[in-house]
Amino acid sequence: MTRRYDAVVVGAGLGGLSAATLMAHRGLSVLLAEHHNVPGGYSTSFVRGRYEFEVALHELCGLGQPEQQTSTRGYLDHLGITGMVDFLPIDDFHRSVFPGLDITVPTGREAYTETICGVFAGDEAGIRRFLGRVFAVSDAFLEYEKVVTIDRPLGVGTALGLPFRWPVLARYAPCTWAQVLERDVTDPQARAVLSQIWAYLGLPPSRLSFLYMSMALRGFIDLGAWYVAGRSQALASAFATRFEQLGGDLRLGCGVRRITTEGGRVTGVVTEHDEAIETGIVISNADPVTTCRDLIGVEQVPASWFRSKRSSRAGCGSLCVYLGLAASPEELGLADHEVFFNASYDMDAQFQRMHELDVPQETVMACYNHVYPDVSPAGTTVVSLSSLMYGEPWLDLAPDEYVATKNKLAAGLLDQVEQTFPGLRANAEVVEVATPVTNMRFTRQLGGAIYGFEQPPGDAVLFRQPPKGPLPGLYFAGASSWPGGGFEPAMVSGRVAAELAMLLQRPHRKGALDAPRDQ
Amino acid sequence: MLRAINEWLQDMGRYPAMIASARREQQGEGGTDFLARHLREHQQRFVDALHPQRMRVRVERVIQETGSTKTFRLRRLDGALPPFRAGQYVNLFVELAGVRTSRPYSISSRPGLDHLDLTVRDVSGGFVAPHLLATVAEGDDLETSGPCGHFYHEPLIHGAELVMLAGGSGITPLASMIRDQAARDWPCRVTLLYGSRHPDDVIFGDDLEHLSAGTDRFRLVPVISEPPAGFTGRRGLLDAGCLRAEAPDLASATVYVCGPPAMYDLCLPALDELGVPRFRVKRELYGPPADVTGTPGWPPEVQGDARFVVTVGDRTIEARASEPLLCSLERHGVVAPTVCRSGVCSLCRTRLLDGDVFTPPGSGLRESDREHGWIHPCVTYPLSDMTIRVPGV
Repeated sequence: MTRRYDAVVVGAGLGGLSAATLMAHRGLSVLLAEHHNVPGGYSTSFVRGRYEFEVALHELCGLGQPEQQTSTRGYLDHLGITGMVDFLPIDDFHRSVFPGLDITVPTGREAYTETICGVFAGDEAGIRRFLGRVFAVSDAFLEYEKVVTIDRPLGVGTALGLPFRWPVLARYAPCTWAQVLERDVTDPQARAVLSQIWAYLGLPPSRLSFLYMSMALRGFIDLGAWYVAGRSQALASAFATRFEQLGGDLRLGCGVRRITTEGGRVTGVVTEHDEAIETGIVISNADPVTTCRDLIGVEQVPASWFRSKRSSRAGCGSLCVYLGLAASPEELGLADHEVFFNASYDMDAQFQRMHELDVPQETVMACYNHVYPDVSPAGTTVVSLSSLMYGEPWLDLAPDEYVATKNKLAAGLLDQVEQTFPGLRANAEVVEVATPVTNMRFTRQLGGAIYGFEQPPGDAVLFRQPPKGPLPGLYFAGASSWPGGGFEPAMVSGRVAAELAMLLQRPHRKGALDAPRDQ
Repeated sequence: MLRAINEWLQDMGRYPAMIASARREQQGEGGTDFLARHLREHQQRFVDALHPQRMRVRVERVIQETGSTKTFRLRRLDGALPPFRAGQYVNLFVELAGVRTSRPYSISSRPGLDHLDLTVRDVSGGFVAPHLLATVAEGDDLETSGPCGHFYHEPLIHGAELVMLAGGSGITPLASMIRDQAARDWPCRVTLLYGSRHPDDVIFGDDLEHLSAGTDRFRLVPVISEPPAGFTGRRGLLDAGCLRAEAPDLASATVYVCGPPAMYDLCLPALDELGVPRFRVKRELYGPPADVTGTPGWPPEVQGDARFVVTVGDRTIEARASEPLLCSLERHGVVAPTVCRSGVCSLCRTRLLDGDVFTPPGSGLRESDREHGWIHPCVTYPLSDMTIRVPGV
């Protein structure tokens, strides 16, 4: 007899985990199927020798102190996740090393503004004006989120009223970060510092949505930067455990081969073990294009939907160098959590370089021992270097050139970083180099993307499609869905997808809950 | 005021360009057309070429290396051989006496050839090796994992001064590394101290001597513990005295150690004594401990032959305390995915729903896995009746 669930979630990245846990919390019977044998997607860790490495999380955005009552913290409280995870505040926002400039910026609106204005006094008025716009836009978006909720999705009336109710959103929605920044701030150094976290979003200022970047920057500045005790795997595992406590059925090492449809609506999935499962709701943590083309099939989905997606692009992946160092952070002179290294102030040139198999011009080094001293054995340090790189050029390599290529790039990155922090290689006990191909292997993300689809103004925030798929019963979670890439947005995406699914499938859901289930 | 209005108009004026650009891409004049470009197929092919999960191979030749050792030369049947790093292993899947199990074997040939050599020695009390040596013949088909493992020369951090300490069949990954060095004209300087009981037990002796004769970048030192009369080479064990005499540049070298457990007990303290920092000493895995009840932390009240009931799904099986849980499961037909069988690959990661277990140090568990009740059955031993959920079963 075929098993039936109220909902099936395809993929246990943070988006899938979040969606599955919320639906289980509401009493739905949920199957969460993940091809990898460890849940979390990029929210994970791996062990080499006596080191356990954080794979992806540098700084968690949008969490805030409990008294700040952010919606993300409220959501995690609601699900019972906060009780299972220790969130650790990170002292400074980031340090940035440029040619001829080394600056550390804190979080907090005033502290951040004053620090940057103090260094770039000549541009002070422009910097203040610019940050004013950033805060105005992100504050307006928080207001917008309170009005346009899941229960009251954006209707035609609200959409037409939007320019009048939140004029600032309508105004900046088509703008790139650079278009707004360059009007106010003239000093290229100040521009680069204000733009530094473009590396967390994957596009350079000249292409990146101003709205999305504003929300990310505001999230860090107002709410601080956070890490997770036990590494980001602890966050993913907390979701997984909580999901099972709530009665969810978690299957690891069990990918979904196909999503089945009948009469134009979703009816179930077939797993890689060839088990057919019936359901009325499928939330896919795979990106929307992969879901519709590879899991459902081109013939089953309206061609117009695919056309609408042709302007979405698979975003960049990453080159990561993980180092286990047999010396303490003090001995190595490592005092910061997060240091960006920039070979130039030309972010467009850095972006061009991301399409080439050459040493990246920009890298960020995270040292986790300060925020989480138990991250490695006493007297040792773990460090990771991450640079953005697109996945496609890697696929043109012959397989036997792969290791030499990744090592050449890793050596170049280490050369660059060791100019500031010598002695990394001399003390290295373990090194592991991961590329976009590594991402493809473990997460199956299209192009090895780490932030999902790119987020230019036309595919971000107000203009990114909501998580409802082209077929009834189909929804999307994860970085390529709404709102976008990053740890916190991924959790939000799962929430939004699950809420929307439960709202729109309600009549169906009642029937499913009443129906006898084969358990 | 005028400036503010002007800025407003400027920003709102960006809409047409944004919409036009999206239109253009949707018409196929730019952007990534996923339907046409098949990025998905392309990337899956590349990942499979690098990391095939399984390989079907045919035994092309069987080479008798010593009285107790054979090399099986394997050619892949279902695709090109994936690249590997000298020192890596494959897991060989076998079925014998009705039990489906597997054993990891280091690749002893160098990368870049059209075949893989697995060199297998008969070890006393072994389950799989005697079977392979007795039954596998030329023309047989076998199944392996793709190459894996982290015991290799890493040029990013290991330097160019290498000292290798091998014991018995522990030569196999090191032989691959040395052959690779030779094929690339010795980018590193290599000293190999190779401990065997008797000169007849030396595996790859002729080949290693041949390689060392042609270069001053590779020095071969066979160390014989039970030499026959008239033996003139180095006698004894790989102890501090031997290392001091034969590898004077040890302090600046990266040291690779591969051999039976007794060899580690001897070599590692010797390396400490000679001032080699532990972080420069690379050890190959050697599977679970031979007798886990002797491991520090083993609860003395539990006898090694105690038996417990393990519930897996709707089945119950019996497991012996001193046997890795993975093996007990395999004995009863429950085959968890694995390649390393040593707590490293994490493929057998299993949910412990209920019960007590013993996990020796180095079980490779993630910190959060301990807290959330996950185990690696390949290096986990039952201490009570238990309930588990095995992946893919």
